[in-house]
Formats: sequence, structure tokens, C-alpha cells
Amino acid sequence: MEKVLRLSADQRDDLVAYLDGELPDPVAQAIDQVLARSEVARHEVEALARTWEMLDALPVPKASAEFTDRTMTTLKVGEVPYDITEQPWFAHVKKGAVLAVWFAVLGLSGWLGFQITARWVPNEQAQILEDLPMLQKFDAYQEVQSLDFLEQLNKGGVFNTSAEKE
Amino acid sequence: MRNLFPQTVFNHRVNGLRRVDRQQKNDPSVPTKTPPEPTAEESGYLRDPEVQLMLRAKEGDDGAFTQLVKAYQDRLTNIFFHMVSSQEAAEDLAQDVFLRIYRARHGYQPTARFSTWLFRIANNLASNSRRSKGRRKEVNLAGSESGPLGVRPQEQLAIDKSGLMPNRQLDKQELQVVVQQAMEQLNERQRLAVLLNKYEDMSYEDIGEAMEMSAAAVKSLLSRARENLRQVLEPYMQLGREAK
Repeated sequence: MEKVLRLSADQRDDLVAYLDGELPDPVAQAIDQVLARSEVARHEVEALARTWEMLDALPVPKASAEFTDRTMTTLKVGEVPYDITEQPWFAHVKKGAVLAVWFAVLGLSGWLGFQITARWVPNEQAQILEDLPMLQKFDAYQEVQSLDFLEQLNKGGVFNTSAEKE
Repeated sequence: MRNLFPQTVFNHRVNGLRRVDRQQKNDPSVPTKTPPEPTAEESGYLRDPEVQLMLRAKEGDDGAFTQLVKAYQDRLTNIFFHMVSSQEAAEDLAQDVFLRIYRARHGYQPTARFSTWLFRIANNLASNSRRSKGRRKEVNLAGSESGPLGVRPQEQLAIDKSGLMPNRQLDKQELQVVVQQAMEQLNERQRLAVLLNKYEDMSYEDIGEAMEMSAAAVKSLLSRARENLRQVLEPYMQLGREAK
């Protein structure tokens, strides 16, 4: 057995992966062969393996008994329900809605103002327009002089245009 | 191999091979010699029962999420404890991991094993915690942050009391202190890789996914870490065996 046979630098780098079974078969077999022939190499790999075993001495703390409940409570408290106001598009929609409301209020105010003005403030022009048909025939009405005379003429058949046509 | 190699080496290698074999059987990304023919629903990581629990949590099943918390709370606390050297801080970090997962549940897609995804979040959280501590210039209790020979006061006391020397027999507690010190001399990434390898029995590929690095980089990281541990612990090796 060759005690002086040593691992190559690459094989030395691969020793941990060899122990962990992470090397491809041919590479692992090459290391197997060196280990089979070299006590020095075996000592080296054994030191690595024993070091690994020594890590078993480390404490393995567990979470405290109330960890699960505490965590689930924290999750629930921290859970924010879906909030539409937190969405990025909400600010734009909100701005548009505010503008629309302002326009609607302005329009309504204008309409109300017009209605109030039309109802309560006297308008001379409107009165003239309302009397226009009578004004246009004012001369003829003046010639008639009185309503009683006009009714007598009607009863006398003066305005019976259908009889004339016949 | 059994006759030629010491039992320690034999056991270690067998365990490693078993783990790799187990991973190849379970991991859908690793082709097997006789591939099963899963249905569309059974394919991929959907076969992972913890992925199924997470999918139920996504649908609003808090009971499923509680099961996940129970399954991982001790494991996460243990990993974080060895990263930050404080039970309270470790539990806070573990809780933070669950909080992040819970918040992300609505968008959860099973693209990896649940454990890999969880430890990736844990890794990011540990990194962020380390960075923010660095910014605040707080003293980290972990050895690698306080210097290569950093020792916590209670450990220093234990060493002082015991007159700890490699040439005397170690009791179990003293061995624990020595091993903890050795671990703390590793940098954060080396330590996390060792912890995932040791306690979670994760393959290099899974560790790589969790730590966002290649399997080859994990191999190199673990090789350096284990060599560092060997150098520190070798003087205590025989004594450690007696202590056990």
C-alpha cells in the first residue's frame, strides 16, 4: 500500500462532494482508487467526515411553544383586505370623478338660476311677445269698438263663411 | 468500500449517495431512467405535498398554511439561530419568512419545491438583515461579523471556566462551544450552505436554487467551508469522539 500517494489538487477540491455523493461516477471511482491505495488520502477524507459528524454537537433550538399561534395571529392582523383606494389607478379615477361632480354641480346651479330668474324676475320683452298676436290685429279690434257688437254680428251670420261658399 | 474505508467515511458517503438518489427520484427536473407518465396536473412540482398545502393556502385555506408553519418553524428557527446566534432574533426572522410567504400567496406559482422556495426567501431575508445591520453599524453576534476570532461573552466564560485546550478531554458542552466557534468563523454564505446541507439534507442543486447560485458554486463553497471547519476542529477531533 502506497502511503505517500496523494490526491491531486482537483481531487482534493472534490473530496467534500465525493463524501456527499455529488460527484459523477467516473470521478468518484477515481477518488475511490486513490483512497484504496493511500492511507494519507484516507486520513484526509476521514478528517472531513469526522468534522462533519462533530457538527452534531451543535444545539438544535426549536421555536417556542406559542410560535405557531403568534405567527398566525400576526399574519391575520397584518393582513390588509383588498382596498380599492390603494390601487394605483384609483387616484386617476378619483380625480376624474371630482371633476365630473364639479361640472354637474355647475350645470345644476345654472339651470336652477335660470328657472328662478325666469319665474320671479319680470321680463318686459316676454310680455310683449305674449301679446304679439293681439297687437298685430289691434287696428281691426279698434274698429269693432265693443265685444257686444261683435257678438251681434256673429249671430246675424255675417261671419258665416261656409254659407257664402255654398 | 466498507472494509477499506473507516466507518465514518463509509457512513457519510452512503448518506450522501442516498440523498442524491432520493432527490433524483423526487425532483421532476432530474430525468429518471424509467420516467413515469404523469397527467398534466400531477406533473412538475405539484406532486410535492407542501406545494399542495401552499396552493390550498392560496385559495384561502388558513389551516393549510398553519400546517406549513408547524412543519417549518423549528427548521427555520434552527437555521436562523446559527446565523444570528439569538433565539429571539431567529424566531423573528422565521416569522418574517412566513409573513412574506403569506403575503405572496395570491401570486404563488409552484415553480420549485416548497422547501427550496422557502429557504430562498430565508436566504434573502438573512442577507437583507445583514445589510441593514451593517448600515446601522450594529454589532452582529455572529463570529464572522465580529472578527475571525469573535467569541460571544457567554462562550468566552465557558472557555475560561473550562480552561479549554485541545489536549484535555472535552465534555459535551465544551465541544458544543468549540463547534459553534468553528461555525462562526465561516462567512455567512458558507455557514448557510453548511446548515442547509447538514440540517436540511439538501442537495447541491437545491442549495444552489435556495442561495441563487450554481451547483458548481455550491460545491466550491461547501468544499472551502468544510476545509475551514476541518482545520479548526481537527485538533479536537479525537477528544470530540470521547465526549460523544
